[in-house]
Amino acid sequence: MLKFFRVALQVCYLYLFALLGNILVKWLHLPISGSIIGLFIVLALLHFKVLKLSAVELGAGFLMSEMLLFFIPSAVAIIQYKDEIIQHGSQFLIVILLSTITVMIVTGLVAQFSIRRLANKKGEIGK
Amino acid sequence: MIAFICILLTVLVYLLSKQLYKKIKFAFLSPLLIAPCILSSMLVGFHINYSDYDSGGRWLSNMLQPAVVGFAIPLYKFRKVMKKYAKIIVVSMSAGVTIAILSSGVFSHIVKLNDNYLLSLLPRSITTPIAMAVSVDIGGMPTMTAIFVIVTGITGLILGPMIIRYLHIKEKLAKGLLLGMGAHGAGTSKALEFGSEEGAAASLAMVLAAIFTLVFAPILTPLILL
Repeated sequence: MLKFFRVALQVCYLYLFALLGNILVKWLHLPISGSIIGLFIVLALLHFKVLKLSAVELGAGFLMSEMLLFFIPSAVAIIQYKDEIIQHGSQFLIVILLSTITVMIVTGLVAQFSIRRLANKKGEIGK
Repeated sequence: MIAFICILLTVLVYLLSKQLYKKIKFAFLSPLLIAPCILSSMLVGFHINYSDYDSGGRWLSNMLQPAVVGFAIPLYKFRKVMKKYAKIIVVSMSAGVTIAILSSGVFSHIVKLNDNYLLSLLPRSITTPIAMAVSVDIGGMPTMTAIFVIVTGITGLILGPMIIRYLHIKEKLAKGLLLGMGAHGAGTSKALEFGSEEGAAASLAMVLAAIFTLVFAPILTPLILL
């Protein structure tokens, strides 16, 4: 029960940082979303030891592990677009499928190739 | 009242589909695919308007904001690794973002979608609020973009692990970047299932993909429309 309250409190903390981010975005007319600004604020506060890791770790862990739940309402929203989906659904799906596969293959291979090259270089220097 | 019932129902269906997924472990049974299907058929079956459902659903969607803030924690924990591989991360993400925008455009041309849909598809591989902002910026339809973002998430969540297996990608950093780049937050939640290091890499990929897309999309869009 105690753990439940700690998680809930930490989720509130994180929410406050997101709200703070939203306010900054509005004031400064930033092109980024408030939650990403909030992420950088928390990162900075952790870095400068203003915020302790233990003050947000549990809440963040909970939110991240149940994140799929928060995507569900936006996925249900698809039913509002019946006409578009009946008309173009298969085209959308083909584009998204092929493009996502391409992006993942390219990103994964570029990263893997560069990591291995770096490892090799270091190996040679080691010799 | 309806809002509260919708929240409760969504959580219940989510927990059930998560249990089912745990038992059967079949990628196509992901809770992000099954739960929305069950919920939409319930809405249609019981004649509930989406706007009524969303009066509750909105509260759950809102929780994505603190969840994104929460990605600061894995990033902070693995900051040394991230620093060490900074160059590799920037190179891989630039490649990923460029390919995401160009391939969405090229494939849209191939299946003969009109420019309105094409432009709405371009920013689909990044987190929703920024994807919608980019969509407005380049002349797309932000609500359609939001739909494409969620479909991308579901697709990447299911196909990501298969691609990792098929390409024999062993490096944790590469796995995380692939998932966070290809499927934003949904991919990042999958990366966290792999491990905390993969999760940190995916969180970083998600954030960088969003920022890079803000810069790259307006530059690449005229090329695609040629």
